[in-house]
Amino acid sequence: MIVLAEAVMGTMFSFHVEPGECPTGEATAVIASACTRLHELDTIFTTWRQESPMSRFRAGLLRRDGVPGEMTRAMALCEEARALSKGWFDPWAMPGGFDPTGLVKGWAVSEALELLRLAGVKAAMVNGGGDISVFGSPEETTAWRIGIRHPWRSEALACVLEIDGAVATSGCYERGPHLINPKDGRMMFDTASASVVGANLAICDALATALVVADEEGPQLARSLGDYEAYLIRNDGTEHASSGIVFASASVR
Amino acid sequence: MRRVGTVAASIAGFAGIVALHAGGAPSLPGATAPPAPASSASGTTKPGTTTPGATKVPTTTAVPVTGTAVGTREQYGYGVLAVKVTEQSGHITDVTVASLQTAEQYSQNLAQQVIPMLRSEVLSVQSDRINAISGATYTSEAYAASIQSALDALAAK
Repeated sequence: MIVLAEAVMGTMFSFHVEPGECPTGEATAVIASACTRLHELDTIFTTWRQESPMSRFRAGLLRRDGVPGEMTRAMALCEEARALSKGWFDPWAMPGGFDPTGLVKGWAVSEALELLRLAGVKAAMVNGGGDISVFGSPEETTAWRIGIRHPWRSEALACVLEIDGAVATSGCYERGPHLINPKDGRMMFDTASASVVGANLAICDALATALVVADEEGPQLARSLGDYEAYLIRNDGTEHASSGIVFASASVR
Repeated sequence: MRRVGTVAASIAGFAGIVALHAGGAPSLPGATAPPAPASSASGTTKPGTTTPGATKVPTTTAVPVTGTAVGTREQYGYGVLAVKVTEQSGHITDVTVASLQTAEQYSQNLAQQVIPMLRSEVLSVQSDRINAISGATYTSEAYAASIQSALDALAAK
């Protein structure tokens, strides 16, 4: 297993790659080019630098038909996520103008993973600061086992899920209030953690954010996300899971 | 946000806390369970202890697993609690909160510390079989102390 961690987009991206038939040197080179791609996407989408295309678009200095192709694709994904979430994910309703932050990191992870898939490696996982996309099977097992971090204990897990596509989790326990309800502007929520499992990590990422800000309507929204499945932890300690969530059976040794 | 304090992180420890605080318990309207003796919390960990009609499970979605039982509602000092326990081959494999009513905000804060510990104590011991951790985005500084960085080190061996 080739393992590499790269600091980008304000967080850490972890790569776990099983090269299979792909020569190790070649797989390592592809990971390096995936990291380069992540830094390129960061340069386009960052709202922390005034000169980035995203900042210029938000400031009205760049027209929609003049933005980079990556931004056009991200906007299409944002529209898809807004519809699926029934408006609870809405980058166009954020203060300060269009803000796709809730989707970009998940999308960047899938872009990086796609480079590894095209290179022909046997199996790979990319974890972008807690948002994960996988393909193939890890050694000796059939599915990737992903622990969902416990919202109130950084060293513990709330549960373990088995996935063959992607999972994203949102919550405010790591960086404080930063999510905004697009319908009334609220920033405090009684949903501590929301995870979404599905094929496309960009959509998972956006839906996880939507489920947190939907707050008391989250559990109901979680059951109507089409091909996406969801798992929530509320501040009162209750947990909610849609029917397609696959919990791994835990064992105590 | 670290709120792990003096509370023991085990089911036995939880029973001790129940005993510690039961004396000062506010009485809750609608609470039918008697004040919990120290043994009651561990009593709920055995499948088959479900009391018919003791509680419904209003908000927790049923998870498709076998050997699950919901314990009776217990007054635990700051509210009323029922836990759901899953057992396989004589081992507890999962503990979740089936229902929880707390009297006030303070109780809720306390419950946030205590109740998830029941479950996390079970799940934290098997991290070597986990490939990765999904969670709210951490900073690159926080990564160094995260379980993910430990899993990365483990996988790189």
